Amino acid sequence: MIDMQSIHRIYRTEHVETHALSEFSLKIEPGEFVSVMGPSGSGKTTFLNIAGLLDTFDHGTYLLDGEDVSRLSDREMSRIRNGKIGFIFQGFNLIPDLDVFDNVDVPLRYRGMASKQRKEAIERALDVVGLTSRIRHHPSQLSGGQQQRVAVARALVGTPGLILADEPTGNLDSAMANEIMDMLEKINDLGTTVVIVTHDAELANRTQRQIYVLDGKLIDIDSHEQHTPLYTPAESREAANA
Amino acid sequence: MLAYQIRIALKSLRRNPALSVLMVCAIGLGIAVSSAFITTYYLMAGDPIPDKSDQLFYVEIDTWDPESPFDDDYPERPPNQISYRDLRAIMESDIPTYQSGMFKSSLTIQPEGENESPYRASSRLCFAGFFPMFEVTFEFGGPWGASVDENLEPVVVINGETNRRLFGGEDSVGRELRINNRNFTVVGVIGDWRPDVKFYDLNNNPFGEPEEIFIPFNFLESMEIVSSGNDSNWKTYARDTYQDFLESESVWIQMWAQLDNRKQKQAYLAFLDAYALELKKLGRHGRPVNNVLLSVTEYMKTEEVVQDEAKMLLIISILFLIVCSVNLIGILLGKFLGRAPEIGVRRALGASRLSVFLQHIVECEVVGLLGGALGLVLSWVALQLINRLFDNLLAFHLDLTMVLAAVILSLFAGLIAGLYPAWRICRVAPATYLKLQ
Repeated sequence: MIDMQSIHRIYRTEHVETHALSEFSLKIEPGEFVSVMGPSGSGKTTFLNIAGLLDTFDHGTYLLDGEDVSRLSDREMSRIRNGKIGFIFQGFNLIPDLDVFDNVDVPLRYRGMASKQRKEAIERALDVVGLTSRIRHHPSQLSGGQQQRVAVARALVGTPGLILADEPTGNLDSAMANEIMDMLEKINDLGTTVVIVTHDAELANRTQRQIYVLDGKLIDIDSHEQHTPLYTPAESREAANA
Repeated sequence: MLAYQIRIALKSLRRNPALSVLMVCAIGLGIAVSSAFITTYYLMAGDPIPDKSDQLFYVEIDTWDPESPFDDDYPERPPNQISYRDLRAIMESDIPTYQSGMFKSSLTIQPEGENESPYRASSRLCFAGFFPMFEVTFEFGGPWGASVDENLEPVVVINGETNRRLFGGEDSVGRELRINNRNFTVVGVIGDWRPDVKFYDLNNNPFGEPEEIFIPFNFLESMEIVSSGNDSNWKTYARDTYQDFLESESVWIQMWAQLDNRKQKQAYLAFLDAYALELKKLGRHGRPVNNVLLSVTEYMKTEEVVQDEAKMLLIISILFLIVCSVNLIGILLGKFLGRAPEIGVRRALGASRLSVFLQHIVECEVVGLLGGALGLVLSWVALQLINRLFDNLLAFHLDLTMVLAAVILSLFAGLIAGLYPAWRICRVAPATYLKLQ
């Protein structure tokens, strides 16, 4: 699904060059459930943005679903994002003016689907996340957990092959976080590749594979069978030592 | 997708009503000013009779002073009116489909009834050809026929206002009307005929209303009717009698002919040239043969109906609209960039730069169109005030063409205001804002 080879991403300001990713190579097979961990500023979100075609890179190659996406036009990248990728963000990122139905509708609008098909797809997606009764509610009328479920429905509605989630449980309590993880597992069970960035080792343990990023480099890969992560985020270590 | 973008635009405008109202007012003000001046210009410069303006010709013949031209600024131009003697000769031609000499006068109407006071009415003396030539429409009755001109029958055509004033708006055809101590029979009541420019006589207030009454031209001799319009003369003459005036070289009559094709026009011009040459041989004038047939639009251009000031005001009003639009750029830029996180989400969900750009242009066009609607209302109010100020002398009004022009201007204003902000927001890197929401 994702095949990155020697990806470099450098952010430049007038005086400073930051290597967000360097020599970053990673393969994720279709249907995998992968977590990406690492301390703040390690390059996790940069990886996710590049994987989701939201950011470019300076060197390296990236094959998404077998297609080289290094030199695609904005229109082509938008088409791939719309058709193949679903995004879930830590801050939910729902559009406040739009109700639940219209928020979930956004990706389908850019796909140019007919009204009837869109309606069916939206109702199906909201049914999966259990929010059909809130279809005309606005985000401000929903709890954090409900908002994130709407975001999951929005990511699902276009039936993408890949879901990228950037700390999807970061703003939720543990019960709600587990609920979201349950949903992601269900989605993964249906064959969708899921990649989540998280600081939560416990949640990461629920994924099939854990990836650790440090200083823009992939430092190790573990399989779910080991159960114990090779890397513990600094925040967690500090908390443990306190 | 357009309907979706319009919906998103309206939601966006509702998000900050005060700012939206400010933007709509800015565009509205620009549209109001530019629409008012464009309307003025359009009415002044527009073709007042487009379906036959190239078949109607204003006749100018040069029998002026051999020593100096009629107009020193345009020495090649013949006098812009003709004398009574020339009119009599020219009216003998049977080449034109219709023709009419005419002049403006002021006659006294003496209404029936003891309580009714006589009053002066703007009047036009003309031939039967006037009415079909200028497509005069009638509410009751119709024009008089050519035989009326020959037999000097006392008939009159009145306008709707006169009919309302004297006959209560009823069908007054066949009723008697006393004019300058003589009875005339009403044969027609003019309907809603009101050319934007009174193109048939540009010598006497081109933007005025058509006259209130029309009587056969040939009554001028028996009633000794004088013109209330402009007249010019180059040769002194005895002023003892009315006949002396008619026999003079004074030019004061407007002459029109309807010539439906090129052949007819050439034949008529040849007739005029032969007439002028004959006069020259007889020693009545010593100028080169220089007769001119001006189409309606040529006549309006020659008489400079559209003043340079009107053109300048038109340009200034368009510039004003552009300034209003440019002032919105900063507001729109701030508004759009403030929405960058939402755009980041839309980009992540599949919106291309182009669709983001178009979405914001649509929003600007919605502002433009709302401003245009407001501007049209303001413009209409302004034109009503202008008309009231000038006692309907100019009769400015908004028509469908002007409404369409305002819509186009609104879209233009929205585009000017929105291009740069929309371009900037579509260039925003989506990843930058996704963590900020």
